[in-house]
Amino acid sequence: MELTTGQQDILSGGAGPYLAQCMRWLVDWGEVMGARRLIPVDNVHALLPVPNLMARGASAATISRYVEGLREACRHKTAPQCVCTVHTAFVTLDELDVPENDPEQVRMQREISDMAAAAGFIPTFTCAPYLVGNVPLLGEICAWTESSAVVYANSILGARTTRHGNESAIAAALLGLVPEFGVLLDENRKGTLLVEVSAGLDSPTDWGALGYCAGKAAGLGIPVFSGVGRPTQDEAKQLCAALATSGGVTMCHIAGVTPEAPTLEAAFHGGQPEAAVSFSDESLRQTYASLRNHTGDEIDSVILGCPHASIREIAEIASLLRGKRVAEGVRLWVDTARGTRGGADAMGYTKVIEDAGGRILCDTCPTNMRMPARRIVTHGFKQAHYARGIVGAEVIVAETGPCIRAALAGRWLGDD
Amino acid sequence: MTEIRGRAVVKGRAEGEALVADAMLSFWGEVDPVSGEVIAVGHPLQGQSLAGRVLVIRSTKGSSATPMVLNLAKLEGKAPAAFVNVEVDGLAALGCIVNGIPMMTDLEQDPFASIRTGDHVVVDADQGLICVMVKQESGGPIG
Repeated sequence: MELTTGQQDILSGGAGPYLAQCMRWLVDWGEVMGARRLIPVDNVHALLPVPNLMARGASAATISRYVEGLREACRHKTAPQCVCTVHTAFVTLDELDVPENDPEQVRMQREISDMAAAAGFIPTFTCAPYLVGNVPLLGEICAWTESSAVVYANSILGARTTRHGNESAIAAALLGLVPEFGVLLDENRKGTLLVEVSAGLDSPTDWGALGYCAGKAAGLGIPVFSGVGRPTQDEAKQLCAALATSGGVTMCHIAGVTPEAPTLEAAFHGGQPEAAVSFSDESLRQTYASLRNHTGDEIDSVILGCPHASIREIAEIASLLRGKRVAEGVRLWVDTARGTRGGADAMGYTKVIEDAGGRILCDTCPTNMRMPARRIVTHGFKQAHYARGIVGAEVIVAETGPCIRAALAGRWLGDD
Repeated sequence: MTEIRGRAVVKGRAEGEALVADAMLSFWGEVDPVSGEVIAVGHPLQGQSLAGRVLVIRSTKGSSATPMVLNLAKLEGKAPAAFVNVEVDGLAALGCIVNGIPMMTDLEQDPFASIRTGDHVVVDADQGLICVMVKQESGGPIG
């Protein structure tokens, strides 16, 4: 890779050992991924979580070494031109009286949050930064963590980001640079897999099913959807999250809808797809069935807001809960960004949800917290997929309406 | 012993017992960094430990926290010894770079046909070479 004199100087330690290490990460990563140079980055979504819960049982030395790495990163300033937001944590910074919200971990996360803010990060603590003001423009160069947000930024917004991890996003934020490879280059944004959709998609969760099925077929490729209309923002969110759960998708196109696919031909850059699959009503039914492993109907958890709920979803949930009561023994979580919760507070939705016995959870989600559950109902395919392994719970994935009905009844009542 | 040439993604040399599945794997959410075990329900590697193993899979997938989980697993002594992947997900490459784990791809033979779980594998990414020592079947007398 060709470096400028200034970049070379940072690599040689001219700006101190930590920034030299950051430069080394970016240069080594760029070289193995085929980059020829580093280019300026305008927008970073960084991962700065204290990992205790996710690494439950880890030695004190492991946690302390990891957290010291976060502290070191936050002792430097983010690049002046860069918008830098922050991904979810493994705890909520609110008071929450559950053993999983370990006070020591909350204290450390607050410390990191304050340090990050002083460094120039905006501590959004969300997996959906595009819902709380970090909305990159067409062509904007980004360095985003959160696999679902990466797909959303590339596909729906036409911004450009490879799949970033914690070290690369921190390095990008502090140096204002990213290695230029993958979907940052035009030629790597062409579709690889044609997904012909004949299924009727009636809800965000249906779009999640499409993504979950297509992600498996696409692997690391770029699926192109034909035969579907324009998704809503919430539908697009579910599609993108599921694509990066069953697969390792960085971006997709929706023919005639997304900004780089005015036509099907344009989505494939005038070439042919490498493969094609179809998604019928039967595929839709089977995909839901593949993420339902419940052996009974009694439920104890309903998790909504994966990825973090939009204000529109919170309004819908509030309208379904108004004047009703969540069943005894059921935890109803609505996960969202602190910024969105502020809006929900102001508009009265929070009160409606809390009066019904539900709870709005900020900064994290129950699966990130490894909140114990026996049987979970959720409207997110991503949540359903990971909760099975992380929490060890049985899961039922369903549209929002049936999720709320299950919360009120304390048992799964079916889809209709 | 079989020698297979391939392309080094991340240089270095390591050896260990192979863990092989023609599947993708997300480290966050599908691997516990403290036990080193695959926790993904229904995954072909579910319940297997990655610690010290040469991980032969199609590629990583899923969460962007893969490098983070790899880092925690490394600190806990539970990370794989090396990666042999058919396709390169940038997140695995980043995690291997940061944690000093060798990674290879583009083998001249299909790794799922030529490497079996339990084989002893030397990954010499400095030379672009993999050596496979087939696991000796143990057990009772033949017949």
